[in-house]
Amino acid sequence: MSNLFQINVSAIQALQTAIATTSNNIANANTPGYAKESVDLTTAIPQVHGSTTLGTGVQVTKILRSYSQTAANQLNSSQSNLGQLTSLQTYTNQVDNIVGTTAGGMSAALQSYYAAWSNVANNPTSIATRQAMLGAAQGVASSFQSTSSQLQSLNANINDAITMDVQQINSIGASIAKLNQQIVVGTAQAGGQPPNDLIDQRDQLLSNLSQLVGVTTNTDSNGALNVFVGSGQPLVLQGNVTKLTAVPNPFNASQLEISTATNGSNIISGSITAGDLGGLLAARTQAVDPALNQLGQIATALSQSANAQQNVGMDLTGKLGANLFSVASPLATASANNTDATTATVGIANVGALTANDYLLTYRGGAYSLTNASTGAAIAFTGAGTAASPISADGLSIVLSGTPANGDQFLIQPTAQAAGSFKLALTGPSQIAAAGAIQTAAANANTGSATISAGSVIDATNPSLLATANIQFTSPTTYSVNGAGSYAYTPGANINLNGWQVQISGAPAAGDAFTVQSNAGGAGDNRNALASANSQTRGVLAGGTISVNAAVSAMITGFGSQAQQVNNAQSAQTAVNAQALQSVQSVSGVNLNEEAANLLQWQQAFQASAQALTIGNNMFTSLMSALSNGIL
Amino acid sequence: MRVTQSLVQTQFLTGLNTLESNLAQTQAQLTTGLAFSSPAQNPAAAGSVNTYNQVLAQSTQYAANANSAQTNLNIEDNALTQIQNQLQTLRSLALQANSGTISPQDLGAIASQAAQIQKSLIGLANTQNGNGDYIFAGYASQTAPFAQAAGGASYAGDQGQILAQIAAGQTIPVGDNGDTVFNQIKTGNGTFTVTANAGNTGTGLIGATTVANPAAYTGGSYAIKFTAPNAYQVLDATNAVVASGTYADGQAIGFAGLQISLSGSPAAGDSFAVAPSGNQSLFTTVQNLVDTLNSAAGTRVTPQIDNAIAGSINDIDQALGHTSTVQTAVGGRLNAITTQLAIATTQQTQLKQTISSLQSLDYPSAITSLTNQQTSLSAAMQAYTLTAGLSLFKYI
Repeated sequence: MSNLFQINVSAIQALQTAIATTSNNIANANTPGYAKESVDLTTAIPQVHGSTTLGTGVQVTKILRSYSQTAANQLNSSQSNLGQLTSLQTYTNQVDNIVGTTAGGMSAALQSYYAAWSNVANNPTSIATRQAMLGAAQGVASSFQSTSSQLQSLNANINDAITMDVQQINSIGASIAKLNQQIVVGTAQAGGQPPNDLIDQRDQLLSNLSQLVGVTTNTDSNGALNVFVGSGQPLVLQGNVTKLTAVPNPFNASQLEISTATNGSNIISGSITAGDLGGLLAARTQAVDPALNQLGQIATALSQSANAQQNVGMDLTGKLGANLFSVASPLATASANNTDATTATVGIANVGALTANDYLLTYRGGAYSLTNASTGAAIAFTGAGTAASPISADGLSIVLSGTPANGDQFLIQPTAQAAGSFKLALTGPSQIAAAGAIQTAAANANTGSATISAGSVIDATNPSLLATANIQFTSPTTYSVNGAGSYAYTPGANINLNGWQVQISGAPAAGDAFTVQSNAGGAGDNRNALASANSQTRGVLAGGTISVNAAVSAMITGFGSQAQQVNNAQSAQTAVNAQALQSVQSVSGVNLNEEAANLLQWQQAFQASAQALTIGNNMFTSLMSALSNGIL
Repeated sequence: MRVTQSLVQTQFLTGLNTLESNLAQTQAQLTTGLAFSSPAQNPAAAGSVNTYNQVLAQSTQYAANANSAQTNLNIEDNALTQIQNQLQTLRSLALQANSGTISPQDLGAIASQAAQIQKSLIGLANTQNGNGDYIFAGYASQTAPFAQAAGGASYAGDQGQILAQIAAGQTIPVGDNGDTVFNQIKTGNGTFTVTANAGNTGTGLIGATTVANPAAYTGGSYAIKFTAPNAYQVLDATNAVVASGTYADGQAIGFAGLQISLSGSPAAGDSFAVAPSGNQSLFTTVQNLVDTLNSAAGTRVTPQIDNAIAGSINDIDQALGHTSTVQTAVGGRLNAITTQLAIATTQQTQLKQTISSLQSLDYPSAITSLTNQQTSLSAAMQAYTLTAGLSLFKYI
């Protein structure tokens, strides 16, 4: 009889636990990180009665947590990738929009600028046209500056986001460490039964962490979870957390890097490639900085070519043209870790060879080495780094103030600052050098048929450039210059003197004279303005093969393609992530219909057990009344 | 496969996001009429559109340059026509003065008319364009190039030639400088000149002069000397006799590839100098005529005066020929501009079409996608409400 009670009471207790577990599942159906639980029912130890054994009921051995480590790991890794691509996407699309916006963008400014040069060529004496040209040049300068400052502000946003990510990572790491301690204690207290709710919480924190940064984990036998970031740097070991720190880049204090030490000695940014943080770092090195460098390369090319053209021309006041634009010189930053005060000065020797790369100059073992700062590839160079023999590579010339200490490093950014510092240098419309610097003339008394070309300036720095030179033919085949010398005449050949070049062609007669002189007063001359307008299609970059305009188009396509590729990758990763989520959910998620069915099942079993108990009770009562009535 | 309610919801929300963002993109396309709003949506097309826009802007600018050049060249063309009209008038006056029937008194009146023409020619040579630039000054377009001076006019300009870019790689001169147009005009017949010696006593008049054999004429100077009224010798620069013969009135004298007709009765000892043509200013030519006429006005018309006027007529003919050549060149440039403008118009139309085909929205397909996206969205919503409403709990 007692057996009957024992069986039914055990059943009622077990079923209550089952109903409670099902209810808990229903209650947590929408709790993030909750893994569906189920009761593990086993038969109670049977009683042996001679040759027979009799069951003694049911018992709950443990509450099972529906969980697949493989699926969870897949989801975490997929979330890391998605986090990386999502933050990268945010920034590549912004870069794309900044670079690519045609309306009010750089292309429009450049078009107006070249058109303004053409208008000056059409009407070189008009101050109004010249003023409009200065306005258009200012428009180009503003366009470079604003594009650069928008890109710079993206870098500032990235810094803010890095700081917030690092704080969040540290805080999640601390929570995981604390949960580790509780889980270890809880497991021990429950005699090896893991505290499921705490594990759910910890898994959810890990999932959140994986969105921020790529993680790898292992679980100790005592139940503690160890978390590693980057290339294996521990974030959580048992109950301890090693905090990450956002520290200034040793070359560029305005950019934050990730370090595992507060003094910034161990920078691990390079190995953080996943999660939101990985995306932020990638956005900076793959989108924002390259965009600034490419923009700077274009700015440098435009400035150099416009200035060179302006320098060989003559302005309205009869002076040689002054620089139209100014840009900052290339940056050479000594590492904060350098041990002496040697500085590097970098100039641009050949704009055609200039690239949009940054370089790292290292002095070690008595020799310099030059590498591409982003790829680490070695760059061939010549020279010793002295003023007499500068280090020259990729159009740069690098001079060091002395011999650096062993291990000193310099980051060389040839174009990073150029776009932001691009300014209009001319102040007055009459300073625009629309005219050529020299003019040529044939004497009216010439009897031969020879003609002289308009002449071009080869070297604007020649001090005698504007001095008048007379070319006198002493015979049809020889000429003298300023009454001296006798040079053989070759029709159409270049005659170079005082920094200019002219050609005389045709048949001169003895006594024919030609003059080359300053073009001061040649207000109507538009040769230099024509050349400036034509520079629209003249190759400047890549060894003189790519024009400023073409470089802008290429930049738009380049960053557009990058954004498109990241967008596609992000869409693909979203699909992968949905799949991973589905795998996790199909194991650990709560299906309410399933729970309803379970509930009905437990309810019916409970009712049956209760009924059995009633029957047992009735039997007992019947027995008792039989006893009291003296039947037995 | 177990499907949980929260997964169904997550998937529905993700799908809803995608559908709504697609719908928003199509809507943005329809609103702007552009196939893509950022280069990322079509990087290659965005780069091409940028390049084509630059080419279009350039082509538009070339057309503007051409129009500006056209304006200046029309002004020059007009000035040259007027200059030629003036020169024709001057030529008629000179012919009138040279007719032999004119009285010395009338020469004074012709001289003052010629002086007036000189003034208006200088005025025309100082023609300014709409910007106030002197079109015949070369580069020094801010200074009036010509001013009347002793012996003609002084020139303050230079020999610069202003160009305009009317197409990629094609520049055309938009003007001609004063030296080229007015100061570098060959004298005589363009190859050589014949002048009568001021001390001639006979009535020998210089007639037509031609180059019979250009290869034989090397540019030397000669003197035709009459040893007798009917006999002449031709001496070269070294006084060596290169030809000699008998003179008959109106008969051409030929030597060194040249043919010179003389008429009238030269006296023994008279001589005529033959020299290669040099450059002479148009204004000097006119001034010479004015001076000749003034010197003869009121006095007897001598063969020397006749010869001088005939020389001036030759020079005026040279000037007419020269300005006509310049004007023909101007006409050629104007033709080139017209051609280029037509090409530019066609090119711009094509470029606009290309740009439009790259960046303009294909409305029918956009509207079709909009309808499809609307249908998918409402179907997704309906499907969700149907499935989400299914719950076993309803039946417990």
